[in-house]
Amino acid sequence: MKTDKTTPLIQLSGITKRFGKLTAVDNVSLDIKRGEKLVIIGPSGSGKSTLLRAINFLEKIDKGEIRFEGTRVGYVIKKGRMTLDKPSRICALRSEIGMVFQHFYLFPHMTVLGNVMEGPLTVQKKAPEEARDIALAMLDKVGIVDKKDVFPATLSGGQKQRVAIARAIAMRPKLMLFDEPTSALDPELVGEVFETIRSLAKEGMTMVVVTHQMGFAREIADRVIFMEQGTFIAQGTPQEFFSKHMNNERIKNFLDKIL
Amino acid sequence: MPILPTTNSKTSRGGYTPLLVVFLLSCFLLTSTPPVRAQNTENFLVQGKNALSTGDIETAATLLRKVPHPGVHGDDGSFAQSRMLLARMFFSVKDFAQATAVCQEILQFYPDNQEAKNFLTSISRESSPVYIQFFQDTIKFLPALAKGTVMTLFLVLLTIIISPILGLLIALGRIGSFRPVQSLCWFVIWIFRGTPLLLQLFFIYYALPTFGITLQPITAAIMGLSLNYSAYLAEIIRGGIQSIDYGQTEAAKALGMTYAQSMRRIIIPQTYKRLMPPIGNEFIALIKDTALVSTIAMVELMRSADLLFNTYFNITVLILAALIYLAMTSVFTLTFEKIETIVGAYENR
Ligand SMILES: Nc1ncnc2c1ncn2[C@@H]1O[C@H](COP(=O)(O)OP(=O)(O)O)[C@@H](O)[C@H]1O
Ligand SMILES: [Mg+2]
Repeated sequence: MKTDKTTPLIQLSGITKRFGKLTAVDNVSLDIKRGEKLVIIGPSGSGKSTLLRAINFLEKIDKGEIRFEGTRVGYVIKKGRMTLDKPSRICALRSEIGMVFQHFYLFPHMTVLGNVMEGPLTVQKKAPEEARDIALAMLDKVGIVDKKDVFPATLSGGQKQRVAIARAIAMRPKLMLFDEPTSALDPELVGEVFETIRSLAKEGMTMVVVTHQMGFAREIADRVIFMEQGTFIAQGTPQEFFSKHMNNERIKNFLDKIL
Repeated sequence: MPILPTTNSKTSRGGYTPLLVVFLLSCFLLTSTPPVRAQNTENFLVQGKNALSTGDIETAATLLRKVPHPGVHGDDGSFAQSRMLLARMFFSVKDFAQATAVCQEILQFYPDNQEAKNFLTSISRESSPVYIQFFQDTIKFLPALAKGTVMTLFLVLLTIIISPILGLLIALGRIGSFRPVQSLCWFVIWIFRGTPLLLQLFFIYYALPTFGITLQPITAAIMGLSLNYSAYLAEIIRGGIQSIDYGQTEAAKALGMTYAQSMRRIIIPQTYKRLMPPIGNEFIALIKDTALVSTIAMVELMRSADLLFNTYFNITVLILAALIYLAMTSVFTLTFEKIETIVGAYENR
């Protein structure tokens, strides 16, 4: 059952995450199929980041369950309360899910190559030569292999984000999460990052992308989800979404604002 | 007479006026002892002493010079006595040429007179330029001070090795989420930062034996210094770790790193540059704080200087000790500045 190709890669059911009184993610359910490209849009503060972070256990959810390849993962019930599973299990799960942040978070004390090698080397305990080969291949893929020996401080935002993508895919993840990967970039640098994500998508990578770039969403998405106040207001294929939901006043307002 | 420049201010090593007072006082005490013989020659001696005790130096000099050479009246020691008195008198008013001449006069008749010989060396010391005196003193005191310096350096180096490691462990304990360890680390920092190092040293060395733990001075010194500095470094390191952008931890977690891996590979290495200046400061303070272990029977630089100074009352000892401390702190300052640029190189490459 676990390796059944038809089982969704990730199944979220009834996910709820609260910060004090505020419910950031409110009883959300979502299946992500293998190879699917999901784009989440929605106004700031609607819970998109929180949902993404819940998928790789950076946020501990209050309710609901997460299945990875059909298996319930990440939480155990202790004394009637949901608690995060053992750190070793959580780490193993995270290593199968890549995440790219709005602000890159490259490791400033390591070279570009060092950043990309770090996962295979430290987490997967690969030999340095092997980790190096993987890292070089990934840097080649994101088109930045010529910068391998410099430190991140000297890179442009677009270059940094491409290195961050290389660092994530060097782990050969089954799922990639992108949280507004181009929001911190100057407009002229957005293209190179999208180009990189696009090529990953073409290779069949399963991915969830939070973005405000509707053109890109339309182009890459198999499914678009509109999120507001912690819930999914609407979802559908890009064609459905951008025609049908244009009638929805809230979505229309939102799209008008950002387009 | 060319003597008696009592207000001579040519030399910078002032303070011979007290010398003169002491000298006059001792002369007064000497005269108060009854004369053994009342012969003519001795009269000059007694009269000379009397003149000295009234402060009439010129008369005293004339009288004392009248005490004849041995051989004329047999050797009753009055010649040597009178000439030594003269020599001391000249010495006390900084007339080194006359003082030397008088001493040599004694040595003409008594070539083995140790007192005169010693006094000659004192005169030559006193009459040589300040820098030569300093040089001679340096040669004299440096070996003992060097021994003390070796001990000081040993204490410093050992503390520099132990306290960052212990400090890091305490810092990690405080940051970590295991309550008992958190409390213990908090307690250690509270105690060792909240009480004087001197008191801690006393406690370890003098009070622990009451509880059946007797330590060698060196063990107690290393323990005291290490624990004290670990507590300070722990807080500095904790601040350094907490100053690193939380995004770094998130990125490490997202890669699948464990807490230990993210600390070791990602967070702690980024603190090095930030920690260098405050840790450098601590280590410079440490060099100076090692002086405190002299109170628990450790002979390091300060104690060596103290011992020498109490023996010789020579301020050169103190100057030398200060120079050695300065040399050590300067080397440390430069070293830490260098290390800082090396470990922070990634920020501007
Ligand atoms: N660590 C946190 N503590 C408290 N509130 C938070 C925290 N993270 C997010 N929130 C709140 O949860 C809501 C959803 O945040 P987020 O998921 O970041 O929204 P989005 O990514 O859609 O802009 C916001 O109101 C935000 O202020
Ligand atoms: Mg967000």
